[in-house]
Amino acid sequence: MKLDGTNTLPAPVETVWKTINDPDALRRCTPGLKELKPTGPDSYAATLSIGIAAVKGTYAGTLTITDKRAPTHYKIVLEGTGGAGFMKGEGTVDLEAQGAETLMRWASDIQVGGLIAGVGQRMLSGVGKMLIGQFFKCLEQQFEGAGAAPPREVGGASGTAQGER
Amino acid sequence: MKPAAFEYYAPRTVDEAVALLKAHGDEAKLLAGGQSLVPLMNMRLARPGVIIDLNRTRGLDGLREQRGVLRIGAMVRQRAAERSALVASRCPLLRDALTWVGHPQIRNRGTIGGSVAHADPASEVPAVLAALDGEVVVRGPRGARTIPAAEFFVTYLTTALAPTELLTEVRIPALPRGAGWSWMEIARRHGDFALAGVGVVLALRGRVIGDARIGLTGVGPTPVRARAAEERLVGARPSEALWQEAADAVRAAVEPDGDLHASADYRRHVAGVLTMRALREAFGRAAHTKRKGRGRAA
Amino acid sequence: MATRDIALTINGRAYQGRAEVRKTLADFIREDCGLTGTHLGCEHGVCGACTILMNGEAVRSCLLFAVQAEGADLRTVEGLADGDRLHPIQQAFWENHGLQCGFCTPGFLMTTVEFLRDNPHPTEREIREGLAGNLCRCTGYQNIVKAVAAAAEVLAAAKQGARGRRRTSGHLPAAVKSTPRRRPKVRRAGPARARRRRSGGTTR
Repeated sequence: MKLDGTNTLPAPVETVWKTINDPDALRRCTPGLKELKPTGPDSYAATLSIGIAAVKGTYAGTLTITDKRAPTHYKIVLEGTGGAGFMKGEGTVDLEAQGAETLMRWASDIQVGGLIAGVGQRMLSGVGKMLIGQFFKCLEQQFEGAGAAPPREVGGASGTAQGER
Repeated sequence: MKPAAFEYYAPRTVDEAVALLKAHGDEAKLLAGGQSLVPLMNMRLARPGVIIDLNRTRGLDGLREQRGVLRIGAMVRQRAAERSALVASRCPLLRDALTWVGHPQIRNRGTIGGSVAHADPASEVPAVLAALDGEVVVRGPRGARTIPAAEFFVTYLTTALAPTELLTEVRIPALPRGAGWSWMEIARRHGDFALAGVGVVLALRGRVIGDARIGLTGVGPTPVRARAAEERLVGARPSEALWQEAADAVRAAVEPDGDLHASADYRRHVAGVLTMRALREAFGRAAHTKRKGRGRAA
Repeated sequence: MATRDIALTINGRAYQGRAEVRKTLADFIREDCGLTGTHLGCEHGVCGACTILMNGEAVRSCLLFAVQAEGADLRTVEGLADGDRLHPIQQAFWENHGLQCGFCTPGFLMTTVEFLRDNPHPTEREIREGLAGNLCRCTGYQNIVKAVAAAAEVLAAAKQGARGRRRTSGHLPAAVKSTPRRRPKVRRAGPARARRRRSGGTTR
């Protein structure tokens, strides 16, 4: 599943670069990411609890950042296996300074396999796009005023709904 | 292929069910027909710690009309609605759509409320609800509220229901008297999830279309109302060319995903084809009713 | 693990057992009641091999928990034949070679019972649609459809002509006598409490 896009972020290149390398920001914005433990420079052990509605799976794996060319380019790889299957997402990120803003171009290739891929096949690309969209929306919000909360998750293990009324 | 362990409750009243939801929150799943949930549990893709079985809960199986609105209890079986004389006469679009829901064995257990709450992006009942501007009644610890269809479906398998809320009733406005309707769907095999499906209602006003509704399934994360196409139709004179314009508007309005079963282009194309066929059939029914003098043209 | 006592009726006979709440009705019928005619194909509601009648309606027993069937009146494939005499639907499957390995057959039979009750004069297309919830890997469906059509005729004629036959349900035909390899874990209700149906005119 190949997905790509561009976003304009309201911050200069150096700030954006710092944020996308910051494990706290990654922890906050990656949907379903429960744990991110550094295991070396630019590599982490990751636990993800991800899914949609009642369909939830826990995946244990790694997050690695490679091919770093500060402050404009890197490759990020997130992979995990769990009872419901396995997933591997590779993304490249390119930043371009545009005055006080930054144009972020990203391209990703996501593979999902195992039971979840078979059963969930017809919703996989849609849900994948949605989760990636959440990630970037959350990133944007990191720059819109200090301490902006991540958007309400749909797809992380925290739940299905827009909250209790 | 056996489900993981869970606690099981079979509340007798809606209040009990709500109390259980409040007590268990995210860990609990409501069990209605089970035709979508239990397969997930058997495959352990869903592992709720608590199951709240609504099959013995009183007060959720009413089916009646009140002031032009069909009020369907959440636990009304799809087969019961499919065979109901009331549904056949007041909302035949729902009846026709239901014949496409799975298979008879599924419809014997599956429920109207369950189908709406499960919100599968390729299911029929949510599309009918969206097309007819229906609404759902839900109950939670803080009481009851009504949610219109347009706000209810959020994304894949996700609705506006909070974890402590229970859907109690589905309300669907009856079709205007004399209106024509049509449900068209394409699936690889009968009973499969729709690759694309369209529900259409047309009401005539003299020689032009007075009201038009187009609701689609299988072409996005939620049911799609093709409002631009509807607007094109209202006030216009029925013709093949008009149906074609509406179909083009539908194609422009949908952004389907592709998958193993059908590409995005195929779904988009087929959505248009089905819209045309549905408009033809709906118009034929409306015109037929008019000719027979049954009901006033709207 | 929570277990519950479950009491229900199968083919006119009362059964009682105790099972984990997560045990499916299909497993309960097979393991606890010793009725293995109901088969497990996919266990996720697609193949129909587990189809039984519950309170007269065809359902996928793999998608029900046994506890949900408390107090229910079930009918399985073992309840079709009348002593040595095959049910007309079974007879039609036999005569029209509507089965090969037989794994899907009980599911098809139970689906057909409901289908023909609701559609006594089906067209071929209606038969194919009505059976769409049952999958067969052997036959290619041709002879299954023929069998159902043939059964429809027999049942319709029987309804027209014959008087209601007196039947008791729950016996295996002599040709298919089986010695249970293991005792069911279930205590059958004693004669005083067993609700065995005797009267004729059983629903077909």
